[in-house]
Amino acid sequence: MHIPDGYLSTTTVIASYTLTIPLWIYGFKKLKENLNEETLPLIGGLSALSFIIMMFNIPIPGGTSGHAVGATLIAILFNPWISFISVSLVLLIQSVIFGDGGISTLAVNSLGMAFISSFSGYYIFQFLKNKKFSPFIAGWSSAVISSLFIAIILGIQPYWNEAGKPLYFPFDLYTTIPALVGSHILFFGIVEGIFTQLIYKYLKEKK
Amino acid sequence: MKKRLYIILSILFVFLPLGLISEYSAWGEWEPETYKKLLGFIPEGIQNAHSFSIIPDYGEGNVIMYYLSAIIGAGIIYSILYFMVKIKNETN
Repeated sequence: MHIPDGYLSTTTVIASYTLTIPLWIYGFKKLKENLNEETLPLIGGLSALSFIIMMFNIPIPGGTSGHAVGATLIAILFNPWISFISVSLVLLIQSVIFGDGGISTLAVNSLGMAFISSFSGYYIFQFLKNKKFSPFIAGWSSAVISSLFIAIILGIQPYWNEAGKPLYFPFDLYTTIPALVGSHILFFGIVEGIFTQLIYKYLKEKK
Repeated sequence: MKKRLYIILSILFVFLPLGLISEYSAWGEWEPETYKKLLGFIPEGIQNAHSFSIIPDYGEGNVIMYYLSAIIGAGIIYSILYFMVKIKNETN
């Protein structure tokens, strides 16, 4: 999910930006090294693909919906830093233009959906080597791991309260972890896995 | 690889309205009123958050606006990367 503005305490916002800004700077440098006339259609096309695939909202039982992200796909096709910056850029545009996800929460959303997704997916894929279903497993795991991160960040927000009345996101870890991680294990992880598997195999297949 | 990537993008683009089928929002991405219903109050931070966007919620369910949102969003993302290449080439 894209955390909207107002959901996170000021402390969380400052801490997340402090952590993410150096990562963005380093990742941006990596992107600049790799980006040229030859790679632009591929990196640009994959970033566009991440944006487009996030528009395919899939309803699940329980009255919510979600979508694939595409970070793992870019990470295993290119490298995780490129994927981290590409998906961060997608999240920035979604937030600024379409009001999908907040500005104050952009660092947390980028850490979860872009950074953690890209790196967990990449290393799991490397660990599994080139097995038949490595892209699926990498995609599924990355979605589950990043949902756990988002669940923890949201679930600690009730700590900031006024006489027991939460000031920000009101539900604790006992609610956020089953809701977010559970739905990613059962549904959105599968969606991410299938997406990563199909597109990876199709793009890599020799003609 | 490039050609195939653009084939995928074109197919997804055609089927874009499928993304509008779900009437549900993502877990936690609720209207402030939902908190009022669930808790009896809206948390201060959520109440005070003012969100500004140029095309709210990708056109709020309108199919034409959804297509336009995809073109604008993907277009801006691609353009930013394109200009990064331009600037890089000029400074070299």
